[in-house]
Amino acid sequence: MFLGIDIGSSSSKTVLIDREGAILGSEVVNIGTGTNGVDLALDRLLKKTNVQKERILYRVVTGYGRMTYQEADKQITEISCHAKGVAALYPKARTIVDIGGQDAKAIQLDANGAVENFIMNEKCAAGTGRFFEVMARVLNCNLEELANLAATTTEYVPISSICTVFAESEVISQLAGGASLAAVARGAHVSVAKRVCGLVKRIRVRPDVVMTGGVALNQAMANCLSQELELPVVVLESPQTVGALGAAIFAKECYEKKL
Amino acid sequence: MKAAELIQALSDAGRTPKQTILRSIQESGKRPVGCFPIYLPEEIIYAAGLLPVGLWGGKTSMTEVDRYIQGFCCSIMRADMELALRGAYNFLEAIVIPTYCDSMKSLLANWGIAVKTPKTLAYIIPQNRYSSGSLDFILYQNEALRTSLSEITGRPITEADLEDAFQLYEQYRAAMRRFVAMVNDYPVSLNPVNRHLVMKAAWFMDKKVYTEKLNTLMDALLKEPKETETGPRVIPTGLMVEPVKLLEAFRENHFVFVEDDLAQESRQFRTPSRTTGTVMEKLAYRLMDLRGDTFFYEENKSRGSRLIEAVKQHKADGVVVCMYKFCDPEEFDYPIYKKELEEAHVPILYLEIDPQMDSVEQLRTRIQSFAEMLNK
Repeated sequence: MFLGIDIGSSSSKTVLIDREGAILGSEVVNIGTGTNGVDLALDRLLKKTNVQKERILYRVVTGYGRMTYQEADKQITEISCHAKGVAALYPKARTIVDIGGQDAKAIQLDANGAVENFIMNEKCAAGTGRFFEVMARVLNCNLEELANLAATTTEYVPISSICTVFAESEVISQLAGGASLAAVARGAHVSVAKRVCGLVKRIRVRPDVVMTGGVALNQAMANCLSQELELPVVVLESPQTVGALGAAIFAKECYEKKL
Repeated sequence: MKAAELIQALSDAGRTPKQTILRSIQESGKRPVGCFPIYLPEEIIYAAGLLPVGLWGGKTSMTEVDRYIQGFCCSIMRADMELALRGAYNFLEAIVIPTYCDSMKSLLANWGIAVKTPKTLAYIIPQNRYSSGSLDFILYQNEALRTSLSEITGRPITEADLEDAFQLYEQYRAAMRRFVAMVNDYPVSLNPVNRHLVMKAAWFMDKKVYTEKLNTLMDALLKEPKETETGPRVIPTGLMVEPVKLLEAFRENHFVFVEDDLAQESRQFRTPSRTTGTVMEKLAYRLMDLRGDTFFYEENKSRGSRLIEAVKQHKADGVVVCMYKFCDPEEFDYPIYKKELEEAHVPILYLEIDPQMDSVEQLRTRIQSFAEMLNK
């Protein structure tokens, strides 16, 4: 068995694969680096798959918390792991948009699924999952409700502030001015989509475009991004665990290289 | 002494600017003059019997500077003014501020009302370096600086003083070029951290002492077996590569800086001086002859082609763009040479750098990803 661990800023993910590369199971815990999230995600995965820890031959850790996790055999960046995971699940992918809790990345793949170029957002919450968390708090709803609200309308109030803190003030002003909750929720999605689109266009955008990361669970966001990019955006079945899957595949490859 | 000890000694000097400057003052008996980035005719300051020292910002909390320079301006200029407002530069005899960009011009305008000590000397750069009047203009600036410095020291700067200083700086510049080239043979000893700190020390030491120490270091290193490194061979381009934490991320991933195109490093000494003319003319021509530099107008920008040539020459794996917040000239230059590098299939790692950042984790991910992308 080979284990992939992805410790993000706001969630921890684990994936276990066998010697043939088949996925045995995956687990997501919605707390990230600096917490016991990774231990929980691993314990639950082992219980779910009924695998003893000792049977794991190689572990690769990725994500924001990878440097501080001591129990892995190797650490590899989330850029490489997302590329590896996507290439395994969707070989036609040439551009990956990965939006996580605190950063957004665009990765360009070659025909073999290898990373050709990449770009990450600047040190700013705009265009990341954190932006949605702030907006949900202002609208007094959870993330799922925010996404559902946004899906109910195509009308939106523009949120022009790039800074998340200023955007929060802007939204409060919009609400005070009588804007509907749905229009504000849609506005938040369009704002993130525009921001991410600007990032993605700094590298060449080539179809097929695949979206990964926790924010990809939000279909309204995928739709907004597709509109901004003017290209279809593919969302994989389990977008949150793609990085951990890539880490697990790397674990298998590293182990086989050692033999 | 062994090479490792000599590297350590100069690295320590580069890591602690203030202590190094104070030690240099004590050892040389000279009064220090602060030199703002980017290029100044330091030889004139040295010829005056003064000690030129570099002021390249640094990490500091920003509590005073917002009254004079906005948060979206050059981070190095902001740090320099903040430090001046806090009195950190009061021990300097004078500060020379050139006008290489809009931020510097604006800073110079506000400096007079914001900073009372030390004495400030302006060094104005001509926009056009190729017209018939360009040489005269720079010569006039050099002579004005010479006069101002003479007023400070109370003695004239003779032609012989200038010639001695020029020759010493020629030796220094040759030593620096040799050092940059030596990294290719000793990439472990001269990893990105040591390489940078050894070169940075030059900004805070008497150039005569520094050049002797650097030559001793290189002679000692040459007696040791050549080294190999496994990571990407790259050429950093931009203003500089700091903080040291960032350089440590390069070292951890076994990068080799096979050459550089940095304002703080090779752009200072890569252009050879002309062999004819007076010292003042040679200093002026060195500014006029510099090519591929962000801060000088160049009709057919040669930065991209120079980088491509350097990549070929060193069989480098890529170029690392070090973009300091918020350096307008560098930002405007980027799309042009990026296009040229892409057309030449040279991989680019783009790093946006805030010298005040406490954490470099995201940049560490980019650096490691770049190494993984190159299969290193």
